[in-house]
Amino acid sequence: MESSTGVLVIGGGSTGTGIARDLAMRGVDVTLVEKGNLTHGTTGRMHGLLHSGGRYAVSDQESAKECIIENRVLRDIASHCVEMTGGLFVQRPQDSDEYFQKKLEGCRECDIPAEVLSPEEAREVEPYLAEDIERAIKVPDGAIDPFRLCVANAVSTENHGGRIETHAPVTDVLLEDGEVVGVEVTHESGPGKRVHGKEGQKEKIYADHVVNAAGAWTGRIGDMAGVDIEVRPSKGVMTVMNARQVDTVINRCKPKGDADIIVPHETAAILGTTDEEVEDPEDYAEEQWEVDLMIEELKELVPILDESRTLRSFWGVRPLYEPPDTGTEDATDITRQFFLLDHEDRDDLTGMTTIVGGKFTTYRMMAEQLSDHVCERLGIDAECRTAEVPLPGSENTEVLDDAMDRFGLRSPIARRSKQRLGSRAEEVLDVDGPNPVVCQCEGVTRAELEDAIDQSGTDLNAVRLRTRASMGNCQGGFCSRAMADLLHPEYEEAIAREAYDELFQERWKGERHALWGEQLSQAMLNYALHATTLNADADPARLGQDVDFAAFDGGEFDSVERTERGADAVATDGGHDGN
Amino acid sequence: MSDSQQPSDFEPVDVFAETDGMDLRPGSDDCYKCSTCDTNCPVAEVDDDFPGPKFQGPEQWRLKRKDDYDIDDSITDCSNCLRCDTSCPSEVPLSQMHNTARSQYVDNQMSKLSVEYIRNRILSNYRTSAYLASLFPRTATFVMNFGPVRWVMEKGLGIPSERDFPEFATTTFRQWWKQRGGAQVQNPDKRVAYFHGCYSNYNTPEVAKALVHVYEELGYEIMVPEQKCSGTPMFANGMLSDARRHAETNVENLTAAIEDGADIIASCTSCSLALRQEYPELFDIDGIEDVSNHTYDALEYLRIYEDLEAELEGAEVDFPDLAYHAPCHSRNQGLDGQALELIENIDGVMAEDVGDSCSGISGTYGWKTEHYDVSMEIGEEMFEHMEHAEGDVGMTECPTCAMQMEHGTGYEIKHPLEVLEAALVSEE
Amino acid sequence: MAIEDDVLVIGGGLAGIAAAVGAHEQGARVRLVSHKQSTMRQASGLIDLLGYTPNGDGPVVDPFEAIEELPEGHPYERAGLDAVRAAMDMFDDATGEMYAGSHTDKNALVPTHGGAIKPTARYPDSAAPGIASAHGDTLFVGFDSMIEFDAPVAADHLAATGVPYETDGATIEFPGNLRDDAKVTRFAHLLDRDDEVAVDGTTMPVRTALAERVKEHIDGHDRVGFPAVLGDDNAAEVRAELADKLGASVFEVPMGPPSLPGLRLEDRLYEYLHEIGVRVSTGNPIVDVEQANGEIDRVVGDHTGREVPYKAQQYILATGGLVGKGIDSDREGVYEPVFDCHVPHPADRYDWFEDGAFDDHEFARFGVPVDTELRPLDADNVPEFENLRAAGSVLGGYDFPSEKSGSGVSLATGYAAGELAGDRV
Repeated sequence: MESSTGVLVIGGGSTGTGIARDLAMRGVDVTLVEKGNLTHGTTGRMHGLLHSGGRYAVSDQESAKECIIENRVLRDIASHCVEMTGGLFVQRPQDSDEYFQKKLEGCRECDIPAEVLSPEEAREVEPYLAEDIERAIKVPDGAIDPFRLCVANAVSTENHGGRIETHAPVTDVLLEDGEVVGVEVTHESGPGKRVHGKEGQKEKIYADHVVNAAGAWTGRIGDMAGVDIEVRPSKGVMTVMNARQVDTVINRCKPKGDADIIVPHETAAILGTTDEEVEDPEDYAEEQWEVDLMIEELKELVPILDESRTLRSFWGVRPLYEPPDTGTEDATDITRQFFLLDHEDRDDLTGMTTIVGGKFTTYRMMAEQLSDHVCERLGIDAECRTAEVPLPGSENTEVLDDAMDRFGLRSPIARRSKQRLGSRAEEVLDVDGPNPVVCQCEGVTRAELEDAIDQSGTDLNAVRLRTRASMGNCQGGFCSRAMADLLHPEYEEAIAREAYDELFQERWKGERHALWGEQLSQAMLNYALHATTLNADADPARLGQDVDFAAFDGGEFDSVERTERGADAVATDGGHDGN
Repeated sequence: MSDSQQPSDFEPVDVFAETDGMDLRPGSDDCYKCSTCDTNCPVAEVDDDFPGPKFQGPEQWRLKRKDDYDIDDSITDCSNCLRCDTSCPSEVPLSQMHNTARSQYVDNQMSKLSVEYIRNRILSNYRTSAYLASLFPRTATFVMNFGPVRWVMEKGLGIPSERDFPEFATTTFRQWWKQRGGAQVQNPDKRVAYFHGCYSNYNTPEVAKALVHVYEELGYEIMVPEQKCSGTPMFANGMLSDARRHAETNVENLTAAIEDGADIIASCTSCSLALRQEYPELFDIDGIEDVSNHTYDALEYLRIYEDLEAELEGAEVDFPDLAYHAPCHSRNQGLDGQALELIENIDGVMAEDVGDSCSGISGTYGWKTEHYDVSMEIGEEMFEHMEHAEGDVGMTECPTCAMQMEHGTGYEIKHPLEVLEAALVSEE
Repeated sequence: MAIEDDVLVIGGGLAGIAAAVGAHEQGARVRLVSHKQSTMRQASGLIDLLGYTPNGDGPVVDPFEAIEELPEGHPYERAGLDAVRAAMDMFDDATGEMYAGSHTDKNALVPTHGGAIKPTARYPDSAAPGIASAHGDTLFVGFDSMIEFDAPVAADHLAATGVPYETDGATIEFPGNLRDDAKVTRFAHLLDRDDEVAVDGTTMPVRTALAERVKEHIDGHDRVGFPAVLGDDNAAEVRAELADKLGASVFEVPMGPPSLPGLRLEDRLYEYLHEIGVRVSTGNPIVDVEQANGEIDRVVGDHTGREVPYKAQQYILATGGLVGKGIDSDREGVYEPVFDCHVPHPADRYDWFEDGAFDDHEFARFGVPVDTELRPLDADNVPEFENLRAAGSVLGGYDFPSEKSGSGVSLATGYAAGELAGDRV
């Protein structure tokens, strides 16, 4: 199978989807390929902070200035992905006054609105803050949903004629006469939709230019093209709390360190993080000390965290990069800048550009610079419009409020649906017949799930990322099977069953890191529901086991007798008579 | 011993500006979605417009952000029976969640000029109406139940005309107490302060008198401190500021009694529940924990501190057979079996449990036109079981359950203390 | 003063109830105290004895045979096979017509609400016509707003297990325009009372309306399976009327929480306790223990913040496992909160679980170890207290979800512990 495109983008994270959208809006014919789901890499494994820039106001003012500019842009173009929570840099008694002062001045130098709060004022904003804090700086940090943002970028790309191909890992970079002319991908699914268990076919996609935006995997793509890209992956843990202990981003006001941020994200709060260099971005240890460190350190800022329920932990890998021969020893000192590697200049290899490093908050700016570069290489003269045109879902959300009443949803569910769907809420929720809530923890209705299935096929993890279903306190214990049922009858039952297994296992993967107290109790309940009540662990259909039905209890009557008996049965009981 | 056994082991704080409600989101940490609460909800069973306690409580709270003010209006359909609170295997502070959400709803989303609001205030401030009525008890009883007046009430206020207003006593308990010269037994070592509540005072002083006779028979010195409404009807109507005012008076006077060495006893299970559970959950008043820790149900207190079985040895009474209903609010305190266990020890009276369903009236709930049918449908099971039972006199500890029992069956309703009085106290 | 009895059972689930009956049958005066409602209504209402061996062999045809082979330390081995049989007899007596399966030692295979099959020893009468190991073309019927049970999926899944008959599924709208989030108790209540509901501009009794909607899908099937919401107090009557109207036998598919079959079982067993004269106090957590000479002297119950002493000669701990909160944990370790009994567990929290959702997890076996008298043992294998026994899922050393042995272990160990305690009084 072969096809051709103008620009081929490798990587479905924020950078890749941002580039695809940017180029598509400039009228370029774009194809994006991603090995897994959108946000499969680093983007899907972050704490969801929309930087004000405050974090870099002392150490890296260049980045800080970029952050505050992009922060304002994203509030505008991606309103349905952003919650403007505000942020605090909190000083504890042992934290230095000098650094606090530097942070404040740094913010002002970078045009980041910053205001000093007394401990009382800070505790008025966030009552669960520790009583012994010294003071805080208030900055415009926010929370952003990276999944929703990437999906919106992908939808926008498609709306502008681009092609998004997920579950299509690049298995080769095509070279002709020392020039990159495209890539070969191996499909794990049929076109556009993922169907489990189908043997993948290979597709050669020829392109005028290839953009390598594979994040932590850029080095592997480089290897396929015969160039050396020295990515230094560094892992960090994120621990998800069941409820929002804070509604504001809480940062510890001290120079960089582990476990110094809490981000309120949707219904949860995310604690972060660590910074440890790893060999392999797909295979590294997820360790207990990291989880414990989050709670031990951050309870200094918010004491209630010590007794709060943790849902799960997950790890992300930062694709850090530094130019060859920089030789930074400590991963925490590697720059967070992004790099645009023009392989023609750098390695005498035409037809490919790599973008690596950088931050989620500035993804759009990075995409703009890269698209400018690619357009220049291809001789295309077109303006970037991504900073002005809202993403799908963020257009005119104000008109929605009146419409929401019509869908018969309880108010918090209507509210959350609207927050997730933005301007698409009406078209998605306006269905005939019942629209029951399937995921009660997050308030996700069947209509929203069916819409997500339309977009992402049988991959329930992709459905989860779009809707948050199964991301609440029971971690899929009560809804994962019902989510899988929705795939039927469009897909056969065996496929739905496999999708359920896969989702349940994915949920388990993160939940393992939270197994104590309430969450261990929840895990045991989930295990009992799925193994005892559903017999999912020993289901003969799953195991391909032949069962000798005749060997078992066949009941006291055969079915004919039973029918007669049922018809003649007399109800005896008028209820409990109290004796 | 772990603290996790103590209900609501977190102290909520005030997060939501513009309301006086606390943040109960951390309470959703305890929910593991088992839905036991939903299966215990008497309203959800008969009315699918009500989404049940799991949604009303932990789910709605967890979905809340700081700037969200929309509480689903189904919160007003909750009858505040608290069965969910008692059933939850996981310590979710359901009653606190419901009460707080209801209060936020009333504060932010209910028009203070609406008939509904005005009616709810009148109903929840029963003590005030009862006080006024007690000045002219016979007239009040007549007027309140006089056809044309009831028609006006139904049309104008949404108070169902099917309901009979309770009769007002010609002499209130407090008047009687004063007339008899207060306590007849002095005993610094065995002192109790009686929280009689409004109903025993204005409507059924015979229950309060039975308590006095029984306790004095067993050698207790009884104090009857100044007191206001326990707040139960106000919690149920989201009128937390009214409830707080009353609570301040109660806490002040009851704390003083505790300092005099008294424990607090109540004959109404909703009153004892309010003092024990809702007070410390909802208010932060000096001494409120003390009050909570010293409050007992009157029968429970005797079971703990007296050998009732020995006292009742050989006691014989001439009492009609009883159909007993355990109020939800006694169940909530773990007291549901005690009245029957007690009566087992008394010859000459039989009591039969009419099952564990809710009576459906839940204080002021069944006094609202929009809830009347639901209230009667919930009560249906209890009525049937009462009809089934041998006895044709009812018995319960809760005044509004008693109203509902009488309303649904026409039975006369007794309080367990009256049986105890018959068994322990010789006729004067 | 204290509230005094001969035997005090702490915990109101299946194990606690069985213990109370066992002690009562020995002539003891028994009180059962429970804190919150039991996990019975979270379970399907099926009484699993042993469906798979600890090595995962199964489905087991004869659980009694397999129980004899269990290793030392398994709760069944501790209680002994005779206790298992005696407990099942007691259960059959207590539940009477409500349960089926006592006519044989063999397990039945019952369709789950996902459409798999699972081996179980006793099943509610309401599920009896539907057992997968009996022959009969089966129609599953689901309700459009009830996401817990998707009938076409269940039908296809059951077919995939290789049953030798036809399976089909249909989804209908439950008559009466209920809200999408109507609770299972609402469905049951309507059917119990056969209330009139609005259907196509007229009203009719709900059972009639439901049968009308199912009729068009019947198409020669021998039996029709509904989600387990067919009534509560009058469940048998509801099924009989539907069967009569449909000309097929009608059964319920057991479901996850909240479970009406579990609810009915709980109601029935409490009624039974009431009938035989066991005293029950609910809503009272035990928060403190006073001991003397290696024995428990009294325990303290909490009544909404008030401490009330309960005294007995013998005590039984039946507070449940991790789900029922009889076993608790924090980041440092695992403990038993009432008597602080020893709970063996790996020191390293990351050894409590395995990487696959259904792997052989250590946490699934958390609980107290006991001697053959069912007394909890301390770290040196010495009984914690002379007069304390433990029963049900507070016991360790078995993985009930994978074995499908939850209800059986609760009944057998509960009944045995009750008999032993009652005998010592």
